[in-house]
Amino acid sequence: MARDTCKHSWTMEDVRYGFIVVEKCYHCNEERSYFAAEHTPPKEEYREGEHFWDYMGSSQSVQFNLKCGKCGEVIRLGELLGLMTCSHCTPDCDLHRISRICESQRIWVYGALTFSPDEIATEEMPQKLATLSQYFNDRVRTEGKKILVLPGWLIKDIDVCRGTVLKDVGMYQVEAEPQEA
Amino acid sequence: MTLAELKDKLSLKPLNDVYEKELDGAFVSDMVSDVMAGAKPGNVWVTTQTHKNVVAAANLVDVAAVIVTRGRPVSDETLEIASRAELTVFSTDLDTYSLVGKLHEAGV
Repeated sequence: MARDTCKHSWTMEDVRYGFIVVEKCYHCNEERSYFAAEHTPPKEEYREGEHFWDYMGSSQSVQFNLKCGKCGEVIRLGELLGLMTCSHCTPDCDLHRISRICESQRIWVYGALTFSPDEIATEEMPQKLATLSQYFNDRVRTEGKKILVLPGWLIKDIDVCRGTVLKDVGMYQVEAEPQEA
Repeated sequence: MTLAELKDKLSLKPLNDVYEKELDGAFVSDMVSDVMAGAKPGNVWVTTQTHKNVVAAANLVDVAAVIVTRGRPVSDETLEIASRAELTVFSTDLDTYSLVGKLHEAGV
């Protein structure tokens, strides 16, 4: 079937389990994250050009691609670090504003976090996220509910954002989180 | 089977509203990433995890309900988010192994 006329039916393919690793350069204080498809997160300090990267932490996560079962098209989501939901912590954050509007219409907004700001700016990213939204929406059974995956650059300041990132936290602590006063 | 029928059959304790949903199979995991990749819409998700990520992942995959085993306490904040997402959260004092046996006996 021709890809441009195909009414795609997406499935999750090439599922890779691994770790989101956060590291920081102790020379310039820059932070960055990447996905490591290894059995244990790499913790070794290393040098890369002017940077001296030091392991800051990690959490278990998953990466995947989407493949159309009809035409065979593959959407590679290797840039996708993870998805997050808004905690409405910053009133003038665009993800917060959109989430609030959408929630009243039973549309659940997820922000897509990618490995670097350069990558989220790529032309393909909006189409990839639209496909990811379609993948989840094709499976939704709850009547009237929709999923909308939007780029993470809508978040005003990722460093202070308290959104809920879909990653495996608390694997060593299964009790409920302490409630805020 | 509806969630209400499941509640009665397994004597589950609902921690929020029991929404009118049909369930279709079950998925057992304590890993959010595992659920994103492996759970199917309509599944009941059996877990010991109770943090907010559970609701975010369950909502994304559109699982029918979450069952928290071993009576683990669930925060009000997690339940409030679950209710907004119309996601029923059940609790049971049973451990995961025992609960899964009962789910199987009940035809899930």
